[in-house]
Formats: sequence, C-alpha cells, structure tokens
Amino acid sequence: MKKSLRLSAAVAVAAAASLTLASCGFGGGSGSGDEAGGTTLDLLVPSYSDSTQGLWEDVIEGFEEENPDISVNLEVQSWDNLESVIATKVQGGEAPDIYNGGPFAGFAADGLLYPAEEVVSADTYGDFQESFLANAEVDGTAYALPLIASARALFVNNALLEQAGVAAPPTTWDELLDAATKISALGGGTAGYGMPLGSEEAQAEAAVWLWGGGGTFGDATEITVDDPANLPGAEQIKKMIDAGATQADPGSTDRSPLMDIFIQGKIGMQVGLPPTVGQIEENNPDLDYSIVPIPTQDGSPFTLGVMDQLMAFQNDGDKQDAITKFLDYYYTSDVYVPWVQAEGFLPVTKSGAEALGGEEALAPFLEVLPDAQFYPSTNPQWAATDAAFKALFGQLQTKPAQEVLTEIQAQADAG
Amino acid sequence: MTIDIMSTTTDTSSTPAGAATGRPRPGGTDSRTGRRPGGRDFLASLPWIGPALILIFGVVLFPAVVMFFNSTRDISISGVDHGSVGFDNYVEVFSFPYFWPIFARTIVWVVVVVAATVVISLGLAQVLNKAFPGRRIVRLAVIIPWAASVVMTTMVVYYGLEPYFGIINKFLVDIGLVDTPEGYGWTRNPATAFAWSIVVAVFVSLPFTTYTILAGLATIPGDVLEAAKMDGAGPMRTYVSVILPQLRGALSVAVLINIINVFNSLPILKVMTGSIPGYDADTIMTLIFKYIQNQHKVDVASALSVVAFLIVIVIVAVYVKVVKPTKEV
Repeated sequence: MKKSLRLSAAVAVAAAASLTLASCGFGGGSGSGDEAGGTTLDLLVPSYSDSTQGLWEDVIEGFEEENPDISVNLEVQSWDNLESVIATKVQGGEAPDIYNGGPFAGFAADGLLYPAEEVVSADTYGDFQESFLANAEVDGTAYALPLIASARALFVNNALLEQAGVAAPPTTWDELLDAATKISALGGGTAGYGMPLGSEEAQAEAAVWLWGGGGTFGDATEITVDDPANLPGAEQIKKMIDAGATQADPGSTDRSPLMDIFIQGKIGMQVGLPPTVGQIEENNPDLDYSIVPIPTQDGSPFTLGVMDQLMAFQNDGDKQDAITKFLDYYYTSDVYVPWVQAEGFLPVTKSGAEALGGEEALAPFLEVLPDAQFYPSTNPQWAATDAAFKALFGQLQTKPAQEVLTEIQAQADAG
Repeated sequence: MTIDIMSTTTDTSSTPAGAATGRPRPGGTDSRTGRRPGGRDFLASLPWIGPALILIFGVVLFPAVVMFFNSTRDISISGVDHGSVGFDNYVEVFSFPYFWPIFARTIVWVVVVVAATVVISLGLAQVLNKAFPGRRIVRLAVIIPWAASVVMTTMVVYYGLEPYFGIINKFLVDIGLVDTPEGYGWTRNPATAFAWSIVVAVFVSLPFTTYTILAGLATIPGDVLEAAKMDGAGPMRTYVSVILPQLRGALSVAVLINIINVFNSLPILKVMTGSIPGYDADTIMTLIFKYIQNQHKVDVASALSVVAFLIVIVIVAVYVKVVKPTKEV
C-alpha cells in the first residue's frame, strides 16, 4: 500500500512538472472592452523595422486627434510570432479589428473578415492599383486591402565581381553559376552566391528559382508544388550547391543574417529587397554594389512580388464605421506615403506611386514590378504550403529535388 | 524552465521528508486522534489546503483537460473549432513518417543529458563539499547558469557557433581545428547542432543537480566516514561503498526531476536547431512546437502533447519501479 502510494505520488509530481510546460500555451489575451462612450479599435501589426512602432503611433495620434471618440490600441509583434499570435487571438474570440499580415484566405474561408469594399470609402477603394487588389480576391471579392508591396532584385558586389574577373552581372542561370563559382574560388571565406534556404523565408528563395525556371506554386484553387515545371529550378539550386558556388550549409541559412554577411562584403551576389538599400547605407555605406534583375533560366525578366495586406475582422460587427474611418484616414496620401517611404517599401495606391515616382533608390524595383509574380496567397491552402516550404525546402541540400517537392506537396495537401 | 525546477523541487522534496517524519511514529495522525479523518476534518482543513487545491485544478488539471479536449477536435489554421474528429489527430501523430526517429532521438536526448549531468555533478559536488579558500564564491559561480535565462545562455553559445563572426568558430579556426576560414556551420547540421544542444542542456542542468547532491553530502554524518577510515577503506572504497549509497535519496530526486525537465525542454533545441530544415534534429517537444508555430495545427499539437505526457508518465513509472528511489538504505 505504502509503496504504491509513493509510486502514485511520484507520478503525480511528474504530471505536475510536465504540465507546467503544456500550460504555457494558454496565455489568454487581456480583454479590451469599449471605453466609456467611445469605440476602441485593436490594431495588430508586425514589425517591419525598428521604426514600425513609432510610425504607427504617429498615424494613430493623427487619427485620434481628428476622431476623439475613437481610440486605437496598437500591438506590434515580430514576424516570427505574428501568425501564432493571431491564431491564438482568433481561437480565443479576441481577434483584432484590423490586422496587418500575409496569408488571409484562411480567415476569409472561415468567414471572419469584412469584404474590403465594406471597410473603406469608394474613393479609397478606387485608388488601389488593380493588380494588387486582384491579388487580394477570393472568388471575386477582395477580402484584404493591399498595404505595401515589395519586389526582389539581385544585389551584386561589384568589387568581388571585378576581382573574380566577371565582366558584367549575370542575367541567366549559366552566367550566374559561372560568376558565383569564380567568386567562391577567391577563397578567404568569400561566397559567390548567398542562398538562404533556411526556415526564415525559404519560400521566397524557392520562388526565385522555381519560377525563374518556368515553374509555379499553383493558383487560387490548386497548389502545384510537385510539378515537373518546378524541377529545373530545384535541380539548378542543387547544381549551385554542389559546385560550391554558395555559402556553406545553404539549407539551414536564414535570410536576414546572410544579408548581413553580404553587407559586410563577403558575398558576391544575393537576392534582396528595397529595405536592403537602407540597411547597406546605414551599416556599410562604402560597399560598392549594384542592383540588377534576378537571373532566370533563359534570361527573361522576372521578380517575386510580395504584397502585405490589412484585413478587418468582423468580431461583433459593431465597429465597421470606426474601422472605415481609420482606414480612410490611413490611406490618404499625406499619411500613407511617408509611412511607406519610411519603411522603404513600394506603395500600392495610384496616388502613392505618383508621389514616389522620382525616388532613385526605389527605381530599380519599380522597374521590375510589372513583371512581378505573386504567391498564390488567395488559396486557403497557401498558409500550409508556406509553412511546408519553410520547414522542408532546405532539405534540397542533401535530398533529391523530386523527393523534396513531393514532401512539400504532401504536407501542403494535408494542411 | 527555472520556474519548473523550482516548483518541482518543493513538490518532490516534500515526499521523502514526509516519509522520514512518518517513520518514528508509525500510524501517524490516525493513532493520535483515534479516528479516521472524516468530512468534518476535511472541511476544517479546507481554508488551509483550499488555495493549493484551486491552484492544482486551475493550473494543472484544467489545462490538461482542455489539452485533451483540443486533441480530439478539428481546429482550423486560424483557430476556429470545426467539431470533433475523434482520435484522428492521434492517427496523424503516429503515422507521421518521422515520428519514430524523433521518438528515439528524444530518448537519446534524455538519457545522455541526464547521465552526463549526474556524473559531472557528482564530481562538482565532491569538490564543493571540501573546505577551501574562496569556496563560497565558487559555489555562487556554479549557480550562475541556473540564474541566467536558458534562452540567453543558449543564444550566447548559438552566436558563438555562427560561421563568419562566431567567437567559438573563430577560436577553432585560429587553432587550426577547422579548415574553412569562415568556420564550420555547427548549428546548420543536424548532428552537430544536436550534440551542442546536449552540451548546453548539461550546462544548465548542472547547478540544480550539484546542489541537490551537495545537500545529500551534507547529511552524511562525519562519524560514518571516520569509521570507514578506521576500517582501512581507501578514498575510492569510501566513496563507492559509503558515500554513494547514502546519496541514494538525493540522487534519485535529482535524476527524476532532471528526466522530466530535460524531456520537456524546448528552448535549447529550438534555438540551436531551429534553422535546420526537415526533422533530423527534432525531439517530441520541438515537434509539438513546429506543429503550432509552422503548421498552426493546434489540434495535432495537443494530441502529441498528450502522447508526450503519457511517455513521461511511463518513463517515471518505470524509473520508480526499477530504482525504487524512496526505498530506505
């Protein structure tokens, strides 16, 4: 009797200890009720840069001045956490009123979002560039408002290229492989091509290569990662790795830390974003670099466009007016353009594009934007596909290309 | 994790203490009051045990029930509950092709970390039990890994191991152990990242284990050691035949708590192996985390948590059955 009592005591202790971890997942968010007489809007946004919080605070301050009866609650999260935070909030019935994020089709499919047209005035709605709006549609209805766009281009370290005896920046895969191999051969820890296939943003590097070889991830109705059209790109990645043209361990290298190495001048070429220009200016202004279109299999122009959206959750359905007021205020040229400019992205409104047309740093990106292809983010399965790429695509370093694509497709289908 | 240790320490150390106080007066409470504790006794004691009961129900049992409930539901990516699916989530967990390798790796992780921790701690405790100048400072230094946040400690090692700028990598390159000038991607390859995680896990587990053993050493009476000396036992013989058996209580508590803690440890592996694609460096805990973070499958993650919970129970039950940690010497 005594022995079994001790056994159960020990088991109980084990239970208590192991549950401490499990119970960490149940952090309930604090309720945000309406303040007396006014409406409170909850705004959940990711952090694009160190200044994101300040920029939003400025917007909110200006808005609250014009609308004293509405107050706005700002919550800034890192990109790493954003999607689990929103999932927890939705599950807990505490979805924010306005949310800035990537994949939105899942929320739309669950019937949680206002159609875009219902939360902005007709003027604001008409100011969005059509191609972006089309990218936010599910079954012909836009459920998200385009917020910012970015395009990718190849950042080239001119000094390293010259040192390796490469005359001009590459435009095709063959030229890229050749140039990168030569730069890697310089030694001293120099890498020819910076290839980040790590979990941070594997889907972007995947798109750069798979789409550059004529592939696609699918469309609004179907995800087609395991497709013969995607094989050339995947094989080319393996070719780059096997030739030693990339940095070591590309399969588990994340994008941001690798970009830092490029900025330090130790990588010949890497695909970057508009904000990269600002990063270089801040950290290593002496870097001699140029920005060129991403090389593709046959040299035809292409870029990966990424658009982030604002979406409005219905919740109790009583805040539609306040949300509309806030969004209309935000998208006015005077508020929106400085915001986009400070973050270093590309504007999605017609008035914004006009206002920023003369910006020199953005010019190389605005130039490639017409050839932009987007993720199939209106497909409800895209979020699962995105996750599968992040978790599995880096295995290309060691596994056969076909096997990796099949595995990603399987996980995307299961999601 | 530190909090885990703290709470479990108090829980478990009370078990042997209770057993010890119960020994001198067999029968305990019953013989003194002369009747069985009834409903009135329970009511009278409620104000004292009430807060603890509320805590146990609110913090331990309620989340466990919710977790089990979630594991039988179909919860969408955005967190909406689409109804019951029975045990489908468990089927998904067990039919995941990487589950069994991950299971095996989890066992390796627990056994290696706990074994290494205990062996090193035994040595450390022996040193710290000797009187020498500055012992207090050395004892304090041993606590530091315990006092520092596990994530912070792991981050320091992680950045040290980074190629290009990591200080450990630089050192290894400078003394010629690594050929490539930018260093080796220790945290980029499953095997090396896992090995380094074990090193960090042992490091952060040492303080607790050392101090538990140190407390055990303090309970060994000096006359027993003197008697061993009189009987002509050498230092080795004294240690193995006299000291170790008397450390049984302290050791078994330390091992038990370490098993649970190490099994449930997420932050070290999450930091050290987080950027590695695929599932070649995962344990059950990081797999749970990946289900939640990457795939947003709260339902499957809950099912796996329940499975993990059962595994811990089984491990502990086997341990208690085989080692009999509460048996008196």
